[in-house]
Amino acid sequence: MAAVEETRTTFVAPPASRTPRWLKPTGRILTIVLIGALFAFPLYWVVTMSFKPLPEWNPPGKVYWWPDNPTLENYEKILGISSGEQSVFATGRSRSAVEFLVNSVVAAIGGTILALIVGIFTAYGIARFRAGGRMLPFQILQLRMFPPIAIIIPLLFFYVEIGLWNKEYFGWFNLGLIVLYGAVTFPFVVWLMRSFFQEVPREISEAAIVDGCTQWGAFFKAVLPQVKGGLAATALFVFILNWSDFLIAKVMTQDNNSTAPVYLQSLQGGASGNEYGLQAALACILIIPPAVFGLLIQRYLVRGLTFGAIKR
Amino acid sequence: MEAHTEELKARQAPARRLPDFGGRQEKSVARTLVAPGQLLMAFIVLFPAAIAIYIGFTSWGPTTGVDFWHAYEFWHWFDGYWEALTTVAFWEAMWRTVLITVVCVAVEFLLGFGLALLLLKNFKGRGLVVVFFLLPMMVVPAVSGFIFFMIYQLDGPLNEALDLLFGVGPVNWLQNADIAIWSVMVVDIWQWAPLMFLIFLSGLAALPEDQMNQARILGASFYHQLRYLVIPMMKPILLIALIIRAIEAFKIFDAIYLLTQGGPGNATENISLYLFDETSANTRWGYASSVAIIVLILVSVIGYWAIRPIEQAQEETLEELTGAELAADVAAEQRVEEAIEAEARV
Repeated sequence: MAAVEETRTTFVAPPASRTPRWLKPTGRILTIVLIGALFAFPLYWVVTMSFKPLPEWNPPGKVYWWPDNPTLENYEKILGISSGEQSVFATGRSRSAVEFLVNSVVAAIGGTILALIVGIFTAYGIARFRAGGRMLPFQILQLRMFPPIAIIIPLLFFYVEIGLWNKEYFGWFNLGLIVLYGAVTFPFVVWLMRSFFQEVPREISEAAIVDGCTQWGAFFKAVLPQVKGGLAATALFVFILNWSDFLIAKVMTQDNNSTAPVYLQSLQGGASGNEYGLQAALACILIIPPAVFGLLIQRYLVRGLTFGAIKR
Repeated sequence: MEAHTEELKARQAPARRLPDFGGRQEKSVARTLVAPGQLLMAFIVLFPAAIAIYIGFTSWGPTTGVDFWHAYEFWHWFDGYWEALTTVAFWEAMWRTVLITVVCVAVEFLLGFGLALLLLKNFKGRGLVVVFFLLPMMVVPAVSGFIFFMIYQLDGPLNEALDLLFGVGPVNWLQNADIAIWSVMVVDIWQWAPLMFLIFLSGLAALPEDQMNQARILGASFYHQLRYLVIPMMKPILLIALIIRAIEAFKIFDAIYLLTQGGPGNATENISLYLFDETSANTRWGYASSVAIIVLILVSVIGYWAIRPIEQAQEETLEELTGAELAADVAAEQRVEEAIEAEARV
């Protein structure tokens, strides 16, 4: 303490900064830019790749850092606007990913709705009535710890047995996938919605009951409107999780019934060689919904990914 | 008459609910509320576990030509478990899973913490930079695997950049058995270090300003501030971030599958890929079930302890909320009682 310098003891209003002195602003900015560039490069690469024509994809001995002849061809092919017969890698396989994207959208939305319906009630029961005792919330959390493949293998046998495996009703409604997506993301709904329900004062539902509502009426008319924002954030968050799935769709579906990420993987290697441009176009399409929704629910992202343990 | 009883009930409501949240009606409502959730949990945990236990005792598979219900014809008790525990491939997959988890989480932790320290001080455009670091988290894991697949190609941008900057010859990032596993880890680090960063950034911003300033004015070095102030105060947050990332890193599948499919050989095969291979490529469903049960038991045992800190954090916020609520309830209760007494005296 004796070594404290004169200038420091006369320090009146310390600046708000907590940054150490040795990190001079320029060095700091440079480090941030460098790390930022490293983190940005993969995204830069996939976006530019999606605009590159075939000769610039991955020719031996030359790297195209920028698309020299930018083209929308990849997107047109992947969205089925033009057929890709001119490609030297052309195969008999359908090149349009529209069918797979439709499957992805249906399964992700269906799974989200199922998880929400079941999860909201469970969350309210836990938050408001401590239903299921103290253990239930943690059983639900533990569910997230199991590697999904370990659970999906037995369910695969079951699905094969009852004919749900790789089964699409009406050509687009994959019931088996939707049920699994709902079950797998259900814990997130419970944890997120529980943290939102806890923020609603108990008096609100009690006032509704005093005014003549039943418990259910109080829930739907008084409590639920209070958590509208949280509900929307939860829905988008769960949609992102379902949209991002690869493993479950890979195990549970095949060929034309699978989802877009599985199709992306099937374009890799094999008889047709790597179709980087097409894959990149599909990859960019796959990135857009989560990126948009993720930015919309930025505030709740950390809460969601940490099961409500960390609130911002 | 009906209306009258309703009114009475309403007046009695506070007394009925005070110590526990009992009340017959509330209990039945609560049970109904959680019943569908419990059903879904049973479907996703108990039901598959039961099937896996049954099939795990057999050597049944789709190639045996017998259907699911007759799997008992291939009953062999613990042979599947014994095989798993004595197979090198299984233990190697376990070891790789642990290695990937430890390395990824450690690097993500350091990178995230460093970035959070760098970005703590406000500057122009900081919000934009934070949003920018959000993006990798949003990328579909399979897609991030594919992106790095392109980058790692022999003629790809990474080798080209290394050649331009350092003159290093091309590295076979995905086909060299010694390198591939590290290449795979980079993908997870790229994608999830930002989550650590976000968590720590909000944690650092929430530190009490006065104490930090005091420490600095009294001449505490950066290291000492970190060692004796920042880390102890942020311990719960650090712990939760580590545990949550470890849980997820343990389960990695998508990115590895897109990058190497577990190859070359099985140099990048973690437990998820091992299970997948046994199921789909080898169609040894009985054996895969035994392995799945072993993994489930292991995870349950580890998870029992790992969940504790998360549980605590959630209980604390819960107590904060319900504690305040209870105090308010008690106060309201007393006021009502006083009013009733006053009325009775009149």
